[in-house]
Amino acid sequence: MAPVLPLVLPLQPRIRLAQGLWLLSWLLALAGGLILLCSGHLLVQLRHLGTFLAPSCQFPALPQASLAAGAVALGTGLVGAGASRASLNAALYPPWRGVLGPLLVAGTAGGGLLVLALGLALALPGSLDEALEEGLGTALAHYRDTEVPGHCQDKRLVDELQLRYHCCGRHGYKDWFGVQWVSSRYLDPSDQDVVDRIQSNVEGLYLTDGVPFSCCNPHSPRPCLQNHLSDSYAHPLFDPRQPNQNLWAQGCHEVLLEHLQDLAGTLGSMLAVTFLLQALVLLGLRYLQTALEGLGGVIDGEGETQGYLFPSGLKEMLKTAWLQGWVARRPAPEEAPPGEAPPKEDLSEA
Amino acid sequence: MALLKVKFDQKKRVKLAQGLWLMNWFSVLAGIIIFSLGLFLKIELRKRSDVMNNSESHFVPNSLIGMGVLSCVFNSLAGKICYDALDPAKYARWKPWLKPYLAICVLFNIVLFLVALCCFLLRGSLENTLSQGLKNGMKYYRDTDTPGRCFMKKTIDMLQIEFKCCGNNGFRDWFEIQWISNRYLDFSSKEVKDRIKSNVDGRYLVDGVPFSCCNPSSPRPCIQYQITNNSAHYSYDHQTEELNLWVRGCRAALLSYYSSLMNSMGIVTLLIWLFEVTITIGLRYLQTSLDSVSNPEEPESESEGWLLEKSVPETWKAFLESVKKLGKGNQVEVEGADAGQTPEAS
Repeated sequence: MAPVLPLVLPLQPRIRLAQGLWLLSWLLALAGGLILLCSGHLLVQLRHLGTFLAPSCQFPALPQASLAAGAVALGTGLVGAGASRASLNAALYPPWRGVLGPLLVAGTAGGGLLVLALGLALALPGSLDEALEEGLGTALAHYRDTEVPGHCQDKRLVDELQLRYHCCGRHGYKDWFGVQWVSSRYLDPSDQDVVDRIQSNVEGLYLTDGVPFSCCNPHSPRPCLQNHLSDSYAHPLFDPRQPNQNLWAQGCHEVLLEHLQDLAGTLGSMLAVTFLLQALVLLGLRYLQTALEGLGGVIDGEGETQGYLFPSGLKEMLKTAWLQGWVARRPAPEEAPPGEAPPKEDLSEA
Repeated sequence: MALLKVKFDQKKRVKLAQGLWLMNWFSVLAGIIIFSLGLFLKIELRKRSDVMNNSESHFVPNSLIGMGVLSCVFNSLAGKICYDALDPAKYARWKPWLKPYLAICVLFNIVLFLVALCCFLLRGSLENTLSQGLKNGMKYYRDTDTPGRCFMKKTIDMLQIEFKCCGNNGFRDWFEIQWISNRYLDFSSKEVKDRIKSNVDGRYLVDGVPFSCCNPSSPRPCIQYQITNNSAHYSYDHQTEELNLWVRGCRAALLSYYSSLMNSMGIVTLLIWLFEVTITIGLRYLQTSLDSVSNPEEPESESEGWLLEKSVPETWKAFLESVKKLGKGNQVEVEGADAGQTPEAS
């Protein structure tokens, strides 16, 4: 029954371990708090941008998972700091003895959650491209449907998106030329130009070479030109083929993709650092716990004790666990007093 | 007949000193808060100084910054005094300085109260500068190639988008100025020539507004030109249309923004002022209770603390007497010299 990875811990290294653990635990709590803030921020951003992502997009799962992981990391850090502080003081330690076991289990579960969130942070941004393509396409197509239930906010949201993120259309302003963004309610049926345009279009859409006002760039030296953008002669001194500052040059797809991928990347790197810290803290706490258990809970003892990760190798642990389960199941058919089985389990665990 | 006498035994004195020490350090934090509030207001005013003619008064943020710094200094000093107050040897060093220090604290509290009041009262001057500045800003909207004014178009556009406002008092202000530069007008067009000829000053005025006045919540695409001409647009009545453009004027929007900012700063400053007054009163009690320890060899004895040694009218009379004595000081000496000389003469 050789312990796994034993480490001899006399008094001074024990104290050093406890002090180092205290510092690491506070760092872990800080990292957990930062993750909570960052994933909260991402959730708020997704609430605003939710219309532009396809409903089937799984991206919102990332901030939710990292919120849970951050909360567990924060809790582990705080309790770990308290436990390592208590392990330096003989009077304070006894109540913490019972806490360390569940803390280690919870911490391991938290570590698993962190790995899951990290995996999501690496995998999900790839699906953003298609989700944005679909979502933005739908939003642009429904720009004119301000009286259709379910889409009546699309115009306002697209305008505010273009104003805030300084972008126009999906990949450029010419996307607006392929969409009817003026509602038929505001088209004059007696106007010959309108009738001509609608008749010349295969699907009966009213398409123009104009864009909504929200595409306008305030940095332009001239008042914004929104209509007849393909016609070189419609406006004095305006050549649509030359780069000009009249409209926003970037498409909203690129801008949003970069923005969301940046946020996911930051979150991912913070998750990686927190996972490292959590692993270190849990290892340290386990060694501290087993070393102090070896002393029987008396902290100031000058004796050397051994700290270890597991009391025995993996095969032997599984064997003991299987035997325990077998023993626990056996008394029921034989009607042996159930009081015998639990104390036996306690003795073999301690 | 001291004012608000309170008995203090040693334990109470120690508790008072400790409590005051803690409160002083919180007050240093409060001073930092006031300093950062003043700094924030100064930065906000600077950001929009283009539309305020660069002549806005920075009195409120400057005084908040000054008060914050002074508060930090005074309160950390008071914290040190309270810490030393428990040790008779160290306290003896501070004893002669405490009375003038308390007088300065009272003065500081009065000035802090006045600054808090100023936060509420000084929005009137802001209104005038805003009105003037916005009018000029709109006048220079088209001068995007004049050095020194080329940024005005961008500033006004971003202001109207951010604060959801249009023009000075409303969108009609844009009808009275030429906001399209002559460089972008087609002078061969008959319509342009007619408009310029029909205007007394030869300006090209339109019933249109820049794109930044448009309201995204409108159900129809934004109508920017020929706003007052109902027949130019299908199914449009400019008198009942409310969602097309922003209705509020930028002067009202900016004024309400700065007013709410200064009001909340004033409230925070008033709360901190109350805190400072409490600290000053506590410090006065500590000083008087330590001074009135009857037997200096026995620091454990009971003593009394008070706010004023005599009642308010008597203290006021004593203060006036001391001021008169200061004024009469020279006269008394001169009279004495005369009286001394006359007996000699006679």
